[in-house]
Amino acid sequence: MKGALRWLAAFALLAGLPFLMGGYYNDVYRKMLLWVALALSYNFLFGICGQVAFSHFAFYGVGAYSIVIFLFQFHIPFPLAVLLGVALCVLVALAVAIPSTRLEGFYLALATLALAQLFVVVLNEGGAVTGGPGGLANYRLPDVLGMRIAGPWYTAVIVFVLLFTLFVLLKLDRSWFGRACRAVRDNPEAAAAMGVNVARTKVIAFTLTSALAGIAGMVYAFVDNTVNPPIFGLDNAFLILFMVIVGGSGRHAGAAVGAALLFLLPFFLSPLVGHHHVLLFGVLVLAAILAAPKGLIGFYDASRRP
Amino acid sequence: MPPAVLELKGLSKRFGGLLAVSNLDFEVREGEILGVIGPNGAGKSTTFNIIAGVYGADAGSVTFGGKPIAGLAPHQIAALGILRTFQHNRPFSGMTVADNVMVGAHTRFRSGLFSVLLGNSSDEEAQRRQQADELVAFVGLSELRDADVTTLSFGQGRLLEIARALAGEPKLILLDEPAAGLTPAELERLGGIIRGIAARGIAVLLIEHDMHFLLPLAHRVVVLNFGAKIADGLPEEIRTNPAVMDAYLGGSLAPA
Repeated sequence: MKGALRWLAAFALLAGLPFLMGGYYNDVYRKMLLWVALALSYNFLFGICGQVAFSHFAFYGVGAYSIVIFLFQFHIPFPLAVLLGVALCVLVALAVAIPSTRLEGFYLALATLALAQLFVVVLNEGGAVTGGPGGLANYRLPDVLGMRIAGPWYTAVIVFVLLFTLFVLLKLDRSWFGRACRAVRDNPEAAAAMGVNVARTKVIAFTLTSALAGIAGMVYAFVDNTVNPPIFGLDNAFLILFMVIVGGSGRHAGAAVGAALLFLLPFFLSPLVGHHHVLLFGVLVLAAILAAPKGLIGFYDASRRP
Repeated sequence: MPPAVLELKGLSKRFGGLLAVSNLDFEVREGEILGVIGPNGAGKSTTFNIIAGVYGADAGSVTFGGKPIAGLAPHQIAALGILRTFQHNRPFSGMTVADNVMVGAHTRFRSGLFSVLLGNSSDEEAQRRQQADELVAFVGLSELRDADVTTLSFGQGRLLEIARALAGEPKLILLDEPAAGLTPAELERLGGIIRGIAARGIAVLLIEHDMHFLLPLAHRVVVLNFGAKIADGLPEEIRTNPAVMDAYLGGSLAPA
């Protein structure tokens, strides 16, 4: 009961804020929330389960493209289109995870890198279905019960997806499954000796977090009302990794802080250094790995220790 | 005599040209502490790893609770109720002591992923956490329950290995040289804990190097040399067995 109230309060606060913002800040705000949602699920995969995958942003793209294609190319009803989008993410995730988790971790990195590249190729070569290099545009979210959901009201949908993502991840993390994921990350042989099916745990973690990325992608599709291949390239795949490392790998709060910081930083840096902010990101990541392997959240922890 | 929990029959394992385990038979009974000793390279660790499912056997059978278990994966063997410790401590380094022990209970959780997501698993979680706390207390680490495992001493880490294995509710616990690297005070405590485990009716298979630790503790001792069993008997018989002395002990068996 107390827990439910807390989630409700978080929703009211996060969804209420954009009503006080102008259109521009609302746009920045909700894109930031989507990055936070993505970083949270990626942190579960990379930080908690220890799997180095580069496909997370591609799954975001699978979700975004699939909802648009199902709705506007194939004219599938909205609820069914959402279900099919999730199902597609799950199927692709299983197809990648089942063969590659049987091998050592390095092969998952390679397989997911290949998937991310292949996804962009498919988008570019997809002809009328994917819209080719120009992508798809000129669509809008179907009315729900005769109501048009836009502006801060749509941001509330994003807040809901973010909190849903966090809720799922926290439930998993605080269960036997979350402990099994950490055990697999820390010492797979010992995990197996304790009865953890290492391959199965990895496949489930990969599939669940990829599906969560896909759901975030579906919501993203109606933020700018356009999806195109350059968005889902490798730059952003690496950016999620950087967000988690800079914020604090393995920690939900760390991932959220890292995502918000690295998303907002270019807005402040671009007037100063133009597009060279990417260089600064590289420096930040190196600094985090070398000097603060626990990330920004590590400083917070250290300040609380007596 | 209590029933046998684990039975090895005609077990053999070859690594290239080396016969690591040769036609080995023995059994472990309920509540019994069986010590397995032998010089380096005698096949102790290989036998241990075959039982734990890390290696397959080339010949022979391993029967647990009357069912053959050879060829099962380590996680399946753990689920049946054979839990092990590692000679070199292998904690899950990003977790607390209590959470490490909770991982040991992994196969005992009944709630599936859906009930976890729907929040129906909190009773089971609380019950297992209480059980983990009791096991942490049983090995004497209560004060460190919420500590990061990386802060533990080597000896404390060894005790954690045992608590973690016990959380899996084993019928048989495999201890791989648990005395190695411990101080005399820690050894005494470890001996008490191992007796306590056997008193719960759990079969204990103990691979050990340290004779002065093992002989007073074990109910029965199996001696290996070059992969084969050269003696099987009570500790007193092992102490005076000339073949054992020749192979391994160099006559130093008299209590210090």
